[in-house]
Amino acid sequence: MNAVTADALAHFRAEFEAARGRGPVGVAQRAAAFERFAALGFPAPRDEAWKYTTLRRLEARRFPSHPTLHKMPVLPPAVAAQRLLVVDGRLHAGPTQVHLPQGLRLRNLAEAQADGESLAALLRVTQGGGTERFAALNAALCPDALLLDVAEGAAPEPLEILLGTSPAQPGMSHPRLVIRAARGSTARILLRHSGDDAERWVNSVVDVEVGPDATVHLYRLLDSGARGFHIERVEATVAQRGTFVAHDAQLGAGLARIDLFVRLAAPQAAAELTGLFLADGARHLDSHVRVDHMAVETRSLQDYRGIAAGRGRAVFNGKAVVHEGAQRSKARQSSRNLLLTPGAEIDTKPELEIYADDVQCSHGATTGQLDPVALFYLRTRGLSESEARSALTRAFTGAVLSRIDHPGFADLVRGLLDSRLGQLLEARQ
Amino acid sequence: MLSIQNLHACIGDRKILKGLSLEVRAGEVHAIMGPNGSGKSTLASVLAGRAGYEVTEGRVLYLGQDLLALEPEERARAGLFLAFQYPVEIPGVNNAYLLKAALNAVRRQRGLPELDAFDFLALIRGKMKLMQMDESFLNRGVNEGFSGGEKKRNEILQMAVIEPRLALLDETDSGLDIDALRVVANGVNSLRGPERAIVMVTHYQRLLDYIEPDFVHVLSDGQILKSGDKSLALELERRGYDWVRQEARVA
Repeated sequence: MNAVTADALAHFRAEFEAARGRGPVGVAQRAAAFERFAALGFPAPRDEAWKYTTLRRLEARRFPSHPTLHKMPVLPPAVAAQRLLVVDGRLHAGPTQVHLPQGLRLRNLAEAQADGESLAALLRVTQGGGTERFAALNAALCPDALLLDVAEGAAPEPLEILLGTSPAQPGMSHPRLVIRAARGSTARILLRHSGDDAERWVNSVVDVEVGPDATVHLYRLLDSGARGFHIERVEATVAQRGTFVAHDAQLGAGLARIDLFVRLAAPQAAAELTGLFLADGARHLDSHVRVDHMAVETRSLQDYRGIAAGRGRAVFNGKAVVHEGAQRSKARQSSRNLLLTPGAEIDTKPELEIYADDVQCSHGATTGQLDPVALFYLRTRGLSESEARSALTRAFTGAVLSRIDHPGFADLVRGLLDSRLGQLLEARQ
Repeated sequence: MLSIQNLHACIGDRKILKGLSLEVRAGEVHAIMGPNGSGKSTLASVLAGRAGYEVTEGRVLYLGQDLLALEPEERARAGLFLAFQYPVEIPGVNNAYLLKAALNAVRRQRGLPELDAFDFLALIRGKMKLMQMDESFLNRGVNEGFSGGEKKRNEILQMAVIEPRLALLDETDSGLDIDALRVVANGVNSLRGPERAIVMVTHYQRLLDYIEPDFVHVLSDGQILKSGDKSLALELERRGYDWVRQEARVA
């Protein structure tokens, strides 16, 4: 371990000791999780899972936690009728004060423990992937965890969860969310990370259990300041005939890494994962998506589109693993990428690993610029170059946007994209 | 309206147009015929402003202004329209959006107010009927999944909506069956008028049975070798292009 890492570790250890002093629920699990983080440390320079993304700048920072909230962040308008506000990893209002759609139940760690829920499950750290270390740190430092249960057979109204941070000051937060959809239920959860321009680190964990015949739609928007670091691990386990649908819109922080891991654990489980990312300015956005087909007749789709401009850089690593015995499974992957300016870069790597013989798998990846022939065609119809570029760029994102079946969320993402792309096109003039 | 004077153009080191001159007045329909590789499509591309062509000599005046100094969109707004030989598929850009943007770009230039959705739709419906196109085409991506004939009809639909001053048709008849050819020709003929000029570039005489030209020109090796009326096209159909070349060499 090098000196920087030792010094960083000392900082996190001090934060951990301070957090332990506040008497959190699950002390034993947290201590074990912290030791896991300490053992793994920050990624080494040649770590394959961090090939294109360096965390040296993050490792050098000593962000403090904010155990109490001094000032509310500015809140963007709500998208769904019901919204939970989580600031620095804590529910802003106590669960009893929150009006929840029917069919949903919300508890924090203390309440879940009192009900006999397993803390080992709620604070679990799964192994593998580049973000295991940070999921462990999250388990050690999260001030609370939210457990959201969808009742058997229920189909509650969509719920928005806004994850914010203490405004205007550097800091770190470790929000943790567990979603469990019981048999036959359907839930739509809108997860929005928002934040101002202060330097900070958000290290988030979302754990989803999709029960038999259940469907969870997770709409996720990362739209925080360009000076922020954001690391997130989203894991979903899908039971028989269950479906996990994710719509991911990755528009910032400054440096972001999301690991989205889905386990299709039982026959006929399915995953539909679509995403968009926009790395403009000096943003660096890294998405790792992995689907494990563990059982027969499982299906997965990964459809991601990325745009980079300016000095922006994006990474997409999509993987589908069809395990032995997972016969008659289908896995489709598509990664399409658009470079709007010459200095931008996107590294994409779709991968298939297949250990069963009766499967249908396909993957494809493209990276390119706007089609000059299409640009010319539009200009011969009287559109200015910037109008033509804008129309083609919107057409590129439109294919993924049109799959978002929550109109409010789709409008929100479209509006944010339009405004960011508009600024890019103006800057070209 | 259009005056092409001693035009030389190349792609890279390859010289394609070698001193082409042509005068087109308002109200006239011209057909430019020639064998493959004679420079027909290059002429259309240079006039529309496609990148990659270098004009090394000569000039082009359009309505008295230097056409080659204008950007492609400025040419379009000034009333020049190119119907593509290979119309481009643009998934995700709505056909109706493009028609409206194109029409309003021209209207702005002419000092006319932009059309609202209601007037636009009324206008489009009439033109689509003319081109025998179903309204469902409006909500599809530009040329997305269109057959060859549908693409060509869509080009002429755009032209009928925009009502350009000068229309360039680049091999508009290629890939059309006889019914589609009739519909396309109908659309073009509906735009004939004293204020408008049409220049058709074509390999075959067939199109000229439906759109009768006032003038026919033979383009070969980057130059116009011979001009005449529509009987020249029939002679070309009968005798091929070689005799024109021989005649030119003798002269």
